Amino acid sequence: MSGGPLIVQSDKTLLLEIDHPDAQACRMAIAPFAELERSPEHVHTYRLTPLGLWNARAAGHDAESVVDALIKFSRYPVPHALLVDVAETMDRYGRLQLANDPAHGLVLRALDRVVLVEVAKSKKLAGMLGNKIDADTIAVHPSERGRLKQALLKLGWPAEDLAGYVDGEAHPIELAEAGKDGRKPWTLRSYQREAVEAFWAGGSGVVVLPCGAGKTLVGAAAMAEAKATTLILVTNTVAGRQWKRELIARTSLTEEEIGEYSGERKEIRPVTIATYQVLTSRRGGAFTHLDLFGARDWGLVIYDEVHLLPAPIFRFTADLQARRRLGLTATLVREDGREGDVFSLIGPKRYDAPWKDIESQGWIAPAECIEVRVTLTDAERMAYATAEAEERYRMAATARTKLPVVRALVQRHPEEQTLVIGAYIDQLHQLGEYLDAPIVQGSTTNKERERLFDAFRSGELRTLVISKVGNFSIDLPEAAVAIQVSGTFGSRQEEAQRLGRVLRPKADGRQAHFYTVVSRDTIDTEYAAHRQRFLAEQGYAYTIVDADDVLGPKLPSVD
Amino acid sequence: MTTSLADHLRSLPDESLAALLQLRPDLVVPVPADVSALAIRAQSRVSVARALDGLDQFTLQILDAARLTRDPADGTTSTDAVLAMATAGPHPPAPTAVRAAVNRLRALFLLYGPESSLQIVGGIDEVSPYPAGLGRPAAELDPRTAALCADPAKLRRTLLAAPPSARAILDRLAAGPPVGSVPPGALQAPPVGAEDALPPDPTNGGAPTGSPVRWLVDHRLLVRISGGAGGTGTVELPREIGLLLRRDSGPLGPLRTSPPPVTAAPREPKAADSAGAGQTMEVVRLTEALLENLAAEPVPVLRSGGLGVRELRRLARVGGVDEPTAALLLEVAYAAGLLGEMDLPGATTARHGADQQVLPTAGYEVWRASSLAQRWEQLARAWLTMTRQVGLVGQRDDRDRPITVLSAEAERAGAPLARRSVLGVLADLEPATAPTPEEVQELLDWRAPRRSRGREAAHREVLAEAATLGVTGLGALTSYGRLLLADVTAGDERGADDPLGLRMEAEEGEPSTAVRALDALLPAPVDHFLVQADLSVVVPGPPDPALAAELEVVAEQESAGGASVYRVTTASVRRALDAGYSADDLHGLFRRRSRTPVPQGLTYLIDDVARKHGGLRVGSAGGYVRSDDEALLTEVLADRRLESLALRRLAPTVLVTPYQVNRMLLALRDAGYAPVPEDASGAAVLSRPKTRRAPARVSVAARTLDPLATPKLSMPRLLGVVEQIRRGDAAARAARRAPAVVRGVADRTGPVAVPSHSDALAVLQQAVRDKALVWVGYVDAHGATASRLVRPVSIGAGYLRAEDERTEMLHTFALHRITAAVLQE
Repeated sequence: MSGGPLIVQSDKTLLLEIDHPDAQACRMAIAPFAELERSPEHVHTYRLTPLGLWNARAAGHDAESVVDALIKFSRYPVPHALLVDVAETMDRYGRLQLANDPAHGLVLRALDRVVLVEVAKSKKLAGMLGNKIDADTIAVHPSERGRLKQALLKLGWPAEDLAGYVDGEAHPIELAEAGKDGRKPWTLRSYQREAVEAFWAGGSGVVVLPCGAGKTLVGAAAMAEAKATTLILVTNTVAGRQWKRELIARTSLTEEEIGEYSGERKEIRPVTIATYQVLTSRRGGAFTHLDLFGARDWGLVIYDEVHLLPAPIFRFTADLQARRRLGLTATLVREDGREGDVFSLIGPKRYDAPWKDIESQGWIAPAECIEVRVTLTDAERMAYATAEAEERYRMAATARTKLPVVRALVQRHPEEQTLVIGAYIDQLHQLGEYLDAPIVQGSTTNKERERLFDAFRSGELRTLVISKVGNFSIDLPEAAVAIQVSGTFGSRQEEAQRLGRVLRPKADGRQAHFYTVVSRDTIDTEYAAHRQRFLAEQGYAYTIVDADDVLGPKLPSVD
Repeated sequence: MTTSLADHLRSLPDESLAALLQLRPDLVVPVPADVSALAIRAQSRVSVARALDGLDQFTLQILDAARLTRDPADGTTSTDAVLAMATAGPHPPAPTAVRAAVNRLRALFLLYGPESSLQIVGGIDEVSPYPAGLGRPAAELDPRTAALCADPAKLRRTLLAAPPSARAILDRLAAGPPVGSVPPGALQAPPVGAEDALPPDPTNGGAPTGSPVRWLVDHRLLVRISGGAGGTGTVELPREIGLLLRRDSGPLGPLRTSPPPVTAAPREPKAADSAGAGQTMEVVRLTEALLENLAAEPVPVLRSGGLGVRELRRLARVGGVDEPTAALLLEVAYAAGLLGEMDLPGATTARHGADQQVLPTAGYEVWRASSLAQRWEQLARAWLTMTRQVGLVGQRDDRDRPITVLSAEAERAGAPLARRSVLGVLADLEPATAPTPEEVQELLDWRAPRRSRGREAAHREVLAEAATLGVTGLGALTSYGRLLLADVTAGDERGADDPLGLRMEAEEGEPSTAVRALDALLPAPVDHFLVQADLSVVVPGPPDPALAAELEVVAEQESAGGASVYRVTTASVRRALDAGYSADDLHGLFRRRSRTPVPQGLTYLIDDVARKHGGLRVGSAGGYVRSDDEALLTEVLADRRLESLALRRLAPTVLVTPYQVNRMLLALRDAGYAPVPEDASGAAVLSRPKTRRAPARVSVAARTLDPLATPKLSMPRLLGVVEQIRRGDAAARAARRAPAVVRGVADRTGPVAVPSHSDALAVLQQAVRDKALVWVGYVDAHGATASRLVRPVSIGAGYLRAEDERTEMLHTFALHRITAAVLQE
């Protein structure tokens, strides 16, 4: 028995005890082929998946090195069957190759003829393969490259893609690390550098970094690496403008080189920032703006918040396989379970860092997560008990009893910038009145939004009530307290995004506070538990307190 | 002068005879009457085959050499002659090796007599007709071929002239066996003038050859030994030509004095052991999971025996293994006595095999309580000795029905021997050598070619099963696997020596060396866990039984293997509370067992669930009393006359009793209250006395008036009755008239001379020709004698077919049942 930090489970999960002295070395050894699944405080869970093993093969690791790493770090004997399975799975990769043939263009070539015969007969590939050139080669239309790769993956015979990427239209882009227009010099953080390197080596893929850890800079660095025209897809106009600001500040790009393609403006420039919304808007049943993908010879496509990527974009991305694609996200959990599609269409996960690691390095603010349980009044309980099933969550989430608790929480942190986040507009209005704070909601104009956010950033405004628009990337670095009163049912990524609003490192290293106010003994509690799953797996320990404890002991009064 | 084997054996000293019997123990079952009987048995086909089965390839080849060098005159050979032949090839073996082989054969008395005139035991030619794969001498086959063989120069020329396709056939027959079958028509000459129309032969440079076999037969290189004109036939290659063709490899073919070497790179012994040990943990865990499933949902036994295909698929899916592994584990568990059949409740024993189900036995409890290594040993031992070939499961039997798990079709008596010999091969190699399956097969072929031939699939299965069970790791036999194999083999020998099992009992309770070796490799059980903020509980190693039992109740298992991961959920905490844990017990459990601080979320969860636990109470009652008048209910409750009702106050306005409503009504009324019963919906039930009535009856008026009046009979019915009577009469007369001989009754005066069976046959044949009536006496299926007057129609295939004129039926009698036949006078 080696007493290593790793325990190999028969369901192909790997448990890594992180307090072990060899834990760091072990993590480095298994990271290339195992996917980080959960990273709570003591034992991290990795998983061996065929996809992960094939990606490792693609990155040049062979089965022998995987098996060696498992045996070397494993605390207990590793079952023989599992080792055999790992070797066999990895052996399936690369029996087929997608390559550029000088005479026939893109072809599917077999190193193992039997496999080619097997997949050529499969119904799933019907229509994707062209003419048979010889016994080992089949022509493939370039537009089918993505779908073919995806289908082959599902058949369990992943193809090695040797066809490469098109470089796209060159455009000079540099990181302005020396400082531009009188700003302070800066450098890319180590994990950002690693993420870009991992992405560039793989060609395409997804980078997962916590909210507030500087994903935009990873995008900027990737653009500087590509030095080509770039299409950036973002969730909304505000986020697009943040990208633009950041790019102008951190790279050699100027305002004129960056175009905005949104509901308001339709500019196509060497670097174009488009919103998902405008791309998926239809007129007469047709997507009118998808031409954007062909408008220029893009060398790089960046998908911001890739976990929100809408389905039509999925379909379109399948045709973009020859271009480099970078997906950025903090939470690769989709409530529709289509994480796999993100991986196969944009590319595998190239970089992932546990939130707590980044926190310990000081790049994101440490946060305290507290669930405050409010006991409903008898009248509210009765109303809840007799409500229709579909109304119940709304009843529980918008209970009036929450209002005094929210106020008490706001008063607890008199010095901090506070965000109050909710999903129901009526409730937000109540809160706005109760707390005497302005509201940002979907119907607020972009101009008004900018004004309120600026006021908040500058400290003029201490409390802001925001609706679901706060789920997405709005940059409010000074927010240190978030109070969540209601949400989209049990959405895990919404919870993580909301926490992300307060994770920007504070100037003095203060702690951030994230409160969730839930109604006790209602469906609200259950949804809250589900929402917390992702963050709990990232190591955020939720503390549960009673509302009476919040209201009870009087805090020193502000006035 | 040669001596017979009997004489030779008789002249032996007792020790040598005993040595022979030890080497060939089948000779003494049963103990032969005398030496002649022993000699006859030693030369019998069965015994010789058994002796040959155990011999390695080289020794068999030397035996072939002895057979080939027999003097045609007296059938003797000598060691020198054998040596000369064995070393005639291009890579001659060491003479000592040859001598050693000869001595082995002499010890077995397959060869006997002095070295200068060795005799070969009879029976060998029966067992293997073609020594060294060579055909019979030409002289025995065909005089013209013999003539050709007598002229070496001509023979050589003919051989060289053979077209390539014919030469290929020759080479194949020369390698042995020397006999080949010929497709129909291949030996037929083509029609005259049609030679040019023959298809071109690519093996002959495109020139047509006709049938190469015909060419060979025509040129006397092959001899036709059977088959009709033009039909399929068999050809044989004469010995002389075979020897000539074997110039390059020597007369006996390639000789190998030692087993073929293993070229595969050896593994790190520790790595092999470690992989195997990991697999043992896995196999024990999977077996337990499968059996737990069977316990929760026992599987019915099919009427044809075994478990259904669909059930196996379900078990495999739930157990998280593939079907072949599930089949193997079920078979092993059954062989280890962990699974058994039980009659279904309410089963009728009339149906065979049905109404039974398979579920874990009481032995399973014992097994579960023992240590990991012991559990594995029990499984592995059962596997080594079970007479089941699990690889057959899923294949189809002779009648094209699928072979199911635990069914009789997968029974193979040779399975333990196959396992023993395959593992034996691995055990004889250097530790941690991992030969490929092909190499193992080659080794087996060398060690006992007669036994391993045709069992390649079985051997491959053994290797796969050994890997699954963790007997081997990374393809090499593990150290504990080696110990177990040695232990099982030794146990067999000891068992033979210790029929009463006295020594075995003495060793009971002591873990075997294999268990101790495995124990050292397996992780020690742990008694603590790590609790994390996401409410997952990680046991970093195999949990000790107490810990496992606790976690089983308070958390849901998420992942198993080297460690176990559980998750605490609302449901699991509720289950623990239902099982009798209090919130404090749970807090205590987590505090005591956890190596890490218990997260606040968990503490809160437990308190929260405990607070709500029992908020609703459910019970049963026979009846209730309710009233809006609380005072009245208090009075009822306090009434001593109603004590027998055991009333209990549930709420200020409700009392309950375990007794039925009627009893309560009576008691309350007796006590002077005025209760009104109500139904399930709360409505009052009004009752009034009910008049009792017996079941309805039919009035006598409906019956027939005169019971004595005769029923009317129609004419057809009457005629039918008459015919029935007449037929009965005829039967009675016929029975009376049957001759005594046929009836088989003895006369008072003495035994009747019963005509023999053949006489009866003659009589019957005559009767068939004459179409005469015959009395036939026969023994029926119940052993009773009977007789019948019939007119025989035909005799054939052991049956007599005859017509009974009386009943107008055709009867069939088995001839061997007929005792007598007499023509009717």
